[in-house]
Amino acid sequence: MSSLTLDHVTKIYDDDGEDVVAVDDVSLEIRDGEFLVLVGPSGCGKSTTLRMVAGLESVTSGEIRLGETAIDDRKPQDRNIAMVFQSYALYPHMTVRENMRFGLEESTDLGDDGIDDRVEDSAGLLGITELLERRPEELSGGQQQRVALGRAIVRDPEVFLMDEPLSNLDAKLRSQMRTELQRLQEDLDVTTMYVTHDQTEAMTMGDRIAILDGGRLQQVGTPLECYHEPANQFVAGFIGEPSMNFFPVERDGDVLRGDGFDYPLPPEVVDRIAAGAGDDLTLSVRPEAIAVADGPGERRFETTVDVVEPMGDENNVYLQFPGIDGTFVAVVDGYERVERGDTVTVEFPADRIHLFDRATGEAVLDRSLTRETAETETGRTI
Amino acid sequence: MSTDTDADPETTSAATSRQGDGARTGGGIDLKRVSLYAVVAVMAAFYLAPLWTGLVTAFKTQDAFFGTTPLAPALPGTEGFTVRPWLEAWAALLPGIVNSLWFTVPAAVLSALLGSLAAYGLTNVDWRGQVALLVPFVAGVFIPYQSVLVPLTQFWNWFPLPVGGLAELAITHVAYGVPICTVLFRGYYLTLDEEMLEAARLDGASIYRIYLRIVLPLSKPMFAVALIYQFTNIWNDLLFALVLAPPNAPPVTIALNQFKGSMVNQYNLQMAGAFIAALPTLIIYVLFGEQFARGVAGET
Repeated sequence: MSSLTLDHVTKIYDDDGEDVVAVDDVSLEIRDGEFLVLVGPSGCGKSTTLRMVAGLESVTSGEIRLGETAIDDRKPQDRNIAMVFQSYALYPHMTVRENMRFGLEESTDLGDDGIDDRVEDSAGLLGITELLERRPEELSGGQQQRVALGRAIVRDPEVFLMDEPLSNLDAKLRSQMRTELQRLQEDLDVTTMYVTHDQTEAMTMGDRIAILDGGRLQQVGTPLECYHEPANQFVAGFIGEPSMNFFPVERDGDVLRGDGFDYPLPPEVVDRIAAGAGDDLTLSVRPEAIAVADGPGERRFETTVDVVEPMGDENNVYLQFPGIDGTFVAVVDGYERVERGDTVTVEFPADRIHLFDRATGEAVLDRSLTRETAETETGRTI
Repeated sequence: MSTDTDADPETTSAATSRQGDGARTGGGIDLKRVSLYAVVAVMAAFYLAPLWTGLVTAFKTQDAFFGTTPLAPALPGTEGFTVRPWLEAWAALLPGIVNSLWFTVPAAVLSALLGSLAAYGLTNVDWRGQVALLVPFVAGVFIPYQSVLVPLTQFWNWFPLPVGGLAELAITHVAYGVPICTVLFRGYYLTLDEEMLEAARLDGASIYRIYLRIVLPLSKPMFAVALIYQFTNIWNDLLFALVLAPPNAPPVTIALNQFKGSMVNQYNLQMAGAFIAALPTLIIYVLFGEQFARGVAGET
């Protein structure tokens, strides 16, 4: 077991004489036994990063270290890394047993019995013992997924790499496998780098999340850090479902002037705004922070209901300021009776708003967290 | 209902000529289908006639051949019927068949194997200059036999093999077969799951081991295609055989060619010989037919 370090790693592709930067100066440390989720929209360079760690892509500049040893000039087979692919990539002409044996036969000098013991142990761990003599084509998607995992686990590698391993499963199986994979990783305690485009997977599975956009690392932190204290507007919009609401505003002293509303800032919030912040800002508030109010007041706004999406215990309600195009979304209690066309007064609580610089996207104000919530919710003490 | 059942033949046929469905509901004959079957039957007869003529000719005596039309068979038990041409042809061709097998089987297997290896190296392994090397392979497919006859004989005159002319023939056919086999295998290897090959690399397998344990076993249907294609081509070749085969060990195509008499053509003998010479390719098709179909369909 060891930690995995990416030190100023850059990948530049040559696309018909033009340089394309796929991964731009990414530095990241995955601690020993940690589950790190690399998340971002498609084309953000997350898979390329993973493939560089695996040795399937060369590193243009920078260094990848396993423990203290640089591994970026080693061949994939000499890195002691196992990878689970999105397509599972099972060998179709081999049985499950042969699929799992293959890596041990090629990379170790274990005897036949030793290999069989390890295959059967891993198969038992994953509950696929009864599938050992079947071929991949006879297995369901979920079973193939387990075999792909088994093929990685049986090698007992220093690092697991997983490239969207759950994205070919249906929703129900995916959430089940999510839990199972987490439990498995905790039991095995193997350093894991997990790539996904799904922020739910990132939030629920990772010890820490690394968010990538356009080849650049945006933020690394625990899921709750990224949720409550997003470093910039991209992270704020990417993490959380439904997405955070953004309103372009001009700061005019203690008031934020937006399109169709004015938002007065209380003094304790003004004090917390980063020094040197400009006046062109983005006011941001999470849908779940918006509260339905029973009457007019400060930071309360009258809105019209555009669309209601019932989710059961809560509703996603799309609201409109009167006379203004464009909606924003609020999550309200499922028992709250709201219908299209209703007029609803909502409050953006002052301690739940974020402000981002409109030019750079950098955060200039995070929502406030009391000391207790800061410690438990953001996981700083963990 | 009543109009349908009451309709007399004249109105039914009139309906048929107006619209096809009307005929079917009226219990008449579907003209489209009839014409389709007619065309199929004519085409079948057209393509089978030479084969049929050859087969019946092979069972006729020389007299019966001159005395009957080519399509009419001589029935067993009648005077014109004989199996002598088959026995004679078999006896005359057997050494040729053996000679042909000696170079056809190794040449077909070797060209398929080399083609598969080349295609793997040019398709699934990443290195610089692949395209530059692929181009001559593709170009090699289009070089006609005739254009290389002179340089080919010169080459083997300069570098004769001590083991004899059949080996020269085999090597020539391998060299000529590798390009088409490479192109065939490449088409198939392009469809292989790249992640699967990457998984094998991460599992610790070298490029050579990946070929041996993953790619080769998955290539079985494509091998059937390449083997059948190569076997048929090499077996049936007369041109290279005429130029390169040693006079003391003629391949079956040359032996068959010698049935053509200088004065009298023994057509029955020639026909029987042609069928016997074609037998091995038929057997190969039957043996690998299923794999061949899967290979052509691109299945694994």
